[in-house]
Amino acid sequence: MQRFEFPRFEFVGRFARNRGALVGACLILVVALMAVFASVFFPTDPLRIVGLPELWPGEDPEFPLGTDSLGRDILSMIVHGARATLLIGLFASAVATIIGVGVGAIAGYFGGWVDEISMRVAELFQTIPNLIFVLTIVVILGSTLTNIVIAIGIVSWTPIARMTRAEFLSLRDREFVQACRSMGMSDLRIIVSEILPNALPPVIVLSSLVVAGAILFESAVSFLGLGDPNVASWGRLVGDGRQLIRSSWYICAIPGIAIMITVLCLNLVGDGLNDALNPKLRDR
Amino acid sequence: MSLLSLRDVRVQFNTAGGVVRAVNGVSLDLAVGETLGLVGESGCGKSTLGKAIMKLVPVSGGAIVVEGVDIAPLNRAQLTDMRRKVQMIFQDPYGSLNPRSTVGRSVAQPMVLAGWKPEATAERVETLLRWVGLPSDAKQRYPHEFSGGQRQRIGIARALALSPKLIICDEPVSALDVSVRAQVINLLEDLKSQFGVSYLFISHDLSVVEHIADRVAVMYLGMLFEVGGRDQIWKSPQHPYTRALLAAAPIANPKLARARQRTVLQGELPSPLNPPPGCPFNSRCPMAQDRCRVEKPVLRPVANGAQAACHFV
Amino acid sequence: MSGQALPLEITDLRTTLFTRRGEMKAVDGLSLSVGAGETVALVGESGCGKSLSALSVMRLLPDPPARIVGGQVKLNGRDIVPLPEEAMLGIRGKEIGMIFQDPISSLNPVTTVEKQIVEVLMTHTELGRGQARVRAHELLELVGMPDAARRLDAYPHQLSGGMCQRVVIAMAIACSPSVLIADEPTTALDVTVQAQVLALLKKLQADAGMAMIFITHDLGVVAETADRVVVMYAGRKVEEASVDELFENPLHPYTVGLIGATPTPGAERAERLADIPGMVPPLNALPQGCAFAPRCKRVMDRCLTEKPALTVPGPGRLVACFAAQGG
Repeated sequence: MQRFEFPRFEFVGRFARNRGALVGACLILVVALMAVFASVFFPTDPLRIVGLPELWPGEDPEFPLGTDSLGRDILSMIVHGARATLLIGLFASAVATIIGVGVGAIAGYFGGWVDEISMRVAELFQTIPNLIFVLTIVVILGSTLTNIVIAIGIVSWTPIARMTRAEFLSLRDREFVQACRSMGMSDLRIIVSEILPNALPPVIVLSSLVVAGAILFESAVSFLGLGDPNVASWGRLVGDGRQLIRSSWYICAIPGIAIMITVLCLNLVGDGLNDALNPKLRDR
Repeated sequence: MSLLSLRDVRVQFNTAGGVVRAVNGVSLDLAVGETLGLVGESGCGKSTLGKAIMKLVPVSGGAIVVEGVDIAPLNRAQLTDMRRKVQMIFQDPYGSLNPRSTVGRSVAQPMVLAGWKPEATAERVETLLRWVGLPSDAKQRYPHEFSGGQRQRIGIARALALSPKLIICDEPVSALDVSVRAQVINLLEDLKSQFGVSYLFISHDLSVVEHIADRVAVMYLGMLFEVGGRDQIWKSPQHPYTRALLAAAPIANPKLARARQRTVLQGELPSPLNPPPGCPFNSRCPMAQDRCRVEKPVLRPVANGAQAACHFV
Repeated sequence: MSGQALPLEITDLRTTLFTRRGEMKAVDGLSLSVGAGETVALVGESGCGKSLSALSVMRLLPDPPARIVGGQVKLNGRDIVPLPEEAMLGIRGKEIGMIFQDPISSLNPVTTVEKQIVEVLMTHTELGRGQARVRAHELLELVGMPDAARRLDAYPHQLSGGMCQRVVIAMAIACSPSVLIADEPTTALDVTVQAQVLALLKKLQADAGMAMIFITHDLGVVAETADRVVVMYAGRKVEEASVDELFENPLHPYTVGLIGATPTPGAERAERLADIPGMVPPLNALPQGCAFAPRCKRVMDRCLTEKPALTVPGPGRLVACFAAQGG
């Protein structure tokens, strides 16, 4: 298999030209570092009770973001929760991308009835409200991290499939593909090593947005109490705090803001990737 | 034996508007070492015919015989042998190379598919790039770093890779600037004299075809109107469409241009979805009579030694 | 020349592209005048600045990146370069018309042919809607539209490329402009349709005495249509001559190369085409001296350091080449 190559410096330059994307990428990097080094910053179990309950942020310098109703350190939970949240986002997006690219590539390349059936199936998935679909799958399969990831992947693949299909439709009749066919190259090889590298840039942009969507889905699932009970994701923190929202609203608000910032940054990064990868905007 | 024989080749497409008979019964022979020019206006089916020979479009009827073997009924696996003998050069130098593949990889593809060893492939790529006049460091670079003419050279190198006997050139110089076009035409002629390769040269540009072709076939709405030697066609065109086409082609010489009689052909190509019955040219032909509206003419020998499909020549 | 101003007089026009990769002199000091009833062909390969020259004259440059940085464009004696955009709106389509290469995208796809012509007429003339519609019909007849009355209600996609180009021509000449700029008007058309459109343009021009700039890369079309020819290379005029003189006795090595590179049926058949080695240099990396020097067969030391100015080798001729001037 051939490597997927960009002229790299150009790519970085174009990405960095979008200020928002640069800021987004930096913040995402901070969140990612938090996730990676969580146990270094807070070696103890974040779910342990460490202080008085319901300490407001700033009330006790030992707990800068305060404590929750049980007296657990919110900062520690946020830092550890970043790991779960990001992993869920990335893996769910990976599942969606693999399904979406596979279905879209085959539908777009072969066309005809293959395309017809694939797109009808995709429409079927799109007509079911996403959140209800995710909840149904999670309820049926059980509330484990893996199942949540799979459920989110299953509801998120359709836009990626449509995008991949559209790219394949426009690329499959290009002359370089015809040249490959006239050399007797097999369909699989044409799809994987000739068309796919050209179709990927917009798909990558979309996948980065699916990460953001997946984080929101997981938050919703956890908020409704259907999350994995062994994982302290941000969504679950919001859910845990909801009974105290009238008195100690910060317990919900802090993880909520963390989700908001991360999702916003992922969207900014997606925009930046779009600028950098979309050939139509080049040389402006 | 002809290198390529087409017998009553038909290609049809089912579109939303109905059936388009893009190639409607074409018979043609191409001898070893010959350059056959295939000319016609857009939509006449000349490119489709080229693609049909490469089996890039489904052939709905007739025989395509390459060195005695009819390839029309063969499936993809059985075509391997034919792929070596017949190759293609495409029109669009920007579209015919994978933008994310290095030039070396694009040119090496035929050898890789044929199962060559990496060292032999690399050596062959060097040779091919030298033949078409590209520096050898070209192989690490990407298509966007090259001009249109250079990209067309890359396409030619790829087509030459397995020493084909016939190269189908589909409008290979139409997208190029005048000075670069001449370079590519000269390269094609050099390669022909060096390797004895034959060309089916598809073009709408009559002056280019006149320069490069030994024989010429004129196509209109899916059928051949006239086939003959270059001089026969240019000095004494028989078919009224050939005459109109030659009269319409601009000549880069003001004196000759002014001297010649200009009968401008009226009307435009009819829709291929709904061609006129009988001779497809009858809607524009200055000689058309009742018979032309009913009976489709067939190619037959005519006065100048060529073949023409017209009831009245 | 009498005291009357020429329809179009371009003096030292400079148009620069301001891009991230630096400033590129796309049109570098072009001077050109066109008399009434005269056709001047602007010839050159892609990137030579011929289309940007036309857009400069129309003041239709895509800004950014392109801007006119100097020179005059006198339309019937009035310099239009300093005019504000509002003033240009009254000039474009009225005093100067333009035909583009792609006829189908030059027309509004969601409006009928009649409405598009009527709109042009009502913008620039005193005609009422009823009169404008009658005039639109006349114009379509004039440009040889088959079945004109029926085509008035057609949408562009219902017409062939040749018919669309006729509509574009009808719109361009609707207000009898004194100058018509045709930018590769037949490049997208088939040979037989190209012949029809060329014949039409010639006839319309002769009838109305328009000055026409005909931009093309095709020397065959030049030979068929032009009275005078201006050859451009890398943003500069390198040669100007009457069409006969240019083809009979080209002076600039680039012109010689272009003519040699064009196969001419009916003329003596050359074994090989005389190609020009190399390719057009990118505008941001022009050589210091003559831009053509790296590809030139007659290159001398001087050509590498000094840009040749236009000189007059004979009546009505101009050439910018040291070798052609005899060293």
